[in-house]
Amino acid sequence: MTIATVLRPTSLAEAAAALADTTGSVRIVGAGTAADWAGSPEPADVVLSTTALTGVIVHNPGDMTVAVRAGTPLRELNAMLAVHGQRVASDAARVDLGATIGGLVATADAGPSALVYGCLRDLVIGATVMLADGTVARTGGHVIKNVAGYDLAKLVHGCHGTLALIAELVLRLHPLPGATSTVRLIGSLADSAEAARAVLASPLEPVACEWSNGALLVRLAGTPGALPARLATLLGSAARRLDAAEQEAAWAAHAALVAGPGSRPHVDRAVLRVGARPSRLPAVIAELTSELGATGVTAGLATGVGTVTLPADPDVVARAHQLVYGVGGSSMLRSRPPGCVAPAWGPAPSAIEVLRAVQAELDPRGRLGAGRFHPWM
Amino acid sequence: MERWLMTRIDATAQRGFDRVLGAENVISDRARLRSYECDGLTGYRVIPALVLLPRTAEQVAAAVRVCAEHGITFVARGAGTGLSGGALPVADGVVISLQRLRRVLAVDPVDRLAVLEPGVTNLEITKAAAPYGLYYAPDPSSQQVCTIGGNVAENSGGAHCLKYGFTTNHVLALEVVLADGSVVTLGGDTTEQLGPDLRGVFLGSEGTLGIATKVTVRLLRTPEAVRTLLADFPSVAAAGEVVSDIIAGGIVPAAVEMMDTLAIEAAEAAVCAGYTLGVPAALVVELDGPAQECHNQFERVKAICEAHGCTRLHIAADAEERAAIWRGRKSAFAAVGRISPDYFVQDGVVPRTRLAEVLSRIGEMGEAVGLRVANVFHAGDGNLHPLVLYDASAGETARAEKLSAEIAELCVELGGSLSGEHGIGTDKACSMPKMFSEADLELMGRVRDAFDPGGLCNPGKLLPTPRLCGERPGKYRPHPLEAAGVIERL
Repeated sequence: MTIATVLRPTSLAEAAAALADTTGSVRIVGAGTAADWAGSPEPADVVLSTTALTGVIVHNPGDMTVAVRAGTPLRELNAMLAVHGQRVASDAARVDLGATIGGLVATADAGPSALVYGCLRDLVIGATVMLADGTVARTGGHVIKNVAGYDLAKLVHGCHGTLALIAELVLRLHPLPGATSTVRLIGSLADSAEAARAVLASPLEPVACEWSNGALLVRLAGTPGALPARLATLLGSAARRLDAAEQEAAWAAHAALVAGPGSRPHVDRAVLRVGARPSRLPAVIAELTSELGATGVTAGLATGVGTVTLPADPDVVARAHQLVYGVGGSSMLRSRPPGCVAPAWGPAPSAIEVLRAVQAELDPRGRLGAGRFHPWM
Repeated sequence: MERWLMTRIDATAQRGFDRVLGAENVISDRARLRSYECDGLTGYRVIPALVLLPRTAEQVAAAVRVCAEHGITFVARGAGTGLSGGALPVADGVVISLQRLRRVLAVDPVDRLAVLEPGVTNLEITKAAAPYGLYYAPDPSSQQVCTIGGNVAENSGGAHCLKYGFTTNHVLALEVVLADGSVVTLGGDTTEQLGPDLRGVFLGSEGTLGIATKVTVRLLRTPEAVRTLLADFPSVAAAGEVVSDIIAGGIVPAAVEMMDTLAIEAAEAAVCAGYTLGVPAALVVELDGPAQECHNQFERVKAICEAHGCTRLHIAADAEERAAIWRGRKSAFAAVGRISPDYFVQDGVVPRTRLAEVLSRIGEMGEAVGLRVANVFHAGDGNLHPLVLYDASAGETARAEKLSAEIAELCVELGGSLSGEHGIGTDKACSMPKMFSEADLELMGRVRDAFDPGGLCNPGKLLPTPRLCGERPGKYRPHPLEAAGVIERL
């Protein structure tokens, strides 16, 4: 096997040249926090790192938009925006590990507060992408409201390094919440699902509603006031409002479960991301637990999105995909041990032919991200 | 500017449509075809060869297969309320009306979603969800008649999209009939994606990528409290500063709308909603959310209004008064007919911080050509709706059309967009090169080819074509965003 050339462009022009002046297969990498997600990449001739494509291009605090180079870690971007009382409202677990904004978009990652703020696909309002031949194209713009042309930023949300390089992103921002509080109610997943239903039927508008580590966590954001007290009353005397340190620890523990045990040697577990209708998710997770030995559960009881950690056994993972597919859900393998050959994806979606046609149009030689959607394309 | 042309559809194809739909659901009578000749943008009219009236998704797919077999172009149509000529027929093609697919297939109060056929109106969704304390958030002004299928095609917004987003933020899944008649599902039961977000690409594609036959939308819980105020200001600039201060204060209002003197005059003449005649600018601000949160923020908004010289502050005391305020705002387009025989509506967007600048330039441009422009707009997100008033019988049409296009292009120059919610359609396709480079447009063309290699879905819309716009000028001119230093050219 030949050793890949590693290119680390520092500008749009260098990135375009990196694609235009090379031949062969290309693997795009960011901070590497999701390198082992989705299908295993095939060996590439060129590794294109976005980690030097960093920095804010323009921040318009009054318009609540920011244009940023895709290799910028979201953690750093948000630290800069916090000075202006603003943020990109994504709390994906990888953010604290240094994930880049481009990597988060390419992997369609999202955290608990997607319940209210949406996923990154809802926050990206424009993008500069680069095709495999170095062609630079823009989509969207710098304004929040814009329906001119196809919204092709959506095409790279979840592309996992295929179709195009994400070079720049324009994002809509949200104000930092005045205060954040969390109420915890210890209980089983099934009981917590019932409690979550009551919370969602109430007018309290939680920004996150997750079950993990044997407890329901409900997060509220806004000006400090009576909301947390109302929530605690609603959930009953067993519910407890967490203090600041407890709150931080509870959500950090949640994020740790989402991240999973990682790809350290001697670890033989893999993380599966699961999406199913909220009413079906608890039963799916119960079955994954009892039948397939799932642990490390997080369950978004309002979003229907959860993660479990499974034995990194190809047969177990394949059965897990089938189980989720069986209730109309979707699943994708995330981090797993090196050399693990478990299938990353379950049955192909009905629109797979469209996806293949899009790839044939955008990257006819299949240079970018080979293996990420194995065996679909 | 009527330019229709009768072309006969191949007899075998016509028999094919009769077979899959029943002859009584295939309109070929010229008088009846005429009612489909335009959408809400009535300046463009084309009589289609046939109009098809399927009742089911299967019939839509079967009809599209007949089109594919015979190379016949098709234009999907909902209620026909679009304002950019997106549903303008093609003379030798067919119109596929989705008006008979109007069942609410499911409302699930536990998973808080609804499954709809494309002909269900926007307001019907909320009516179906209301018994469960839920509603569907996007609320275009035409919500009583416009359909969810059309909302998907246009990625419709509405007054409340500042806080709640657009159609794309609320659609989970789509069943789509592709140009070859195959049926696929884009998206899923949750936001988790199996690969790239093709659902999001389809949203707002203006009927050029296929026909949505089933739409799954998220429903939200009805907010506990809603507070609405109407405030008058001595200048557009003062009203603009109020909006800036609200946003800078970390408040995300459900809606912030602004109207100028002319728009207020028109709305009052039409519906007597209680707006003050003669004031330079009026703001409608609406907040919603948990009661105490909403109340606290509302008090801050009132203080901001007063700090900027508000000359009248009217707070809706109840749902009826709130409805009156909104009736005035939502009637403004149609009401302009009271003060002018004809008008064009524009839909450009500027970064919100450039509102005052764009409004004064629009005023100057109108004066220069001797036409009045009324302004109604979504101030929170910078989406303008300048109404260019003119009199066709006085020969002002061409001048008004030119001014209207120049306003849209001015928005692009200021770092904004040609369209915030009405779409590109036929109306603004030729302006697309003002906003996008050839490479940008070519990429869009490639994606279109991937979905519809034969170019059968709604041809001539959204993307500029030489036939529609003439050959593009060869001489290189800097892109407006490039000139403004926002983007760099390689």
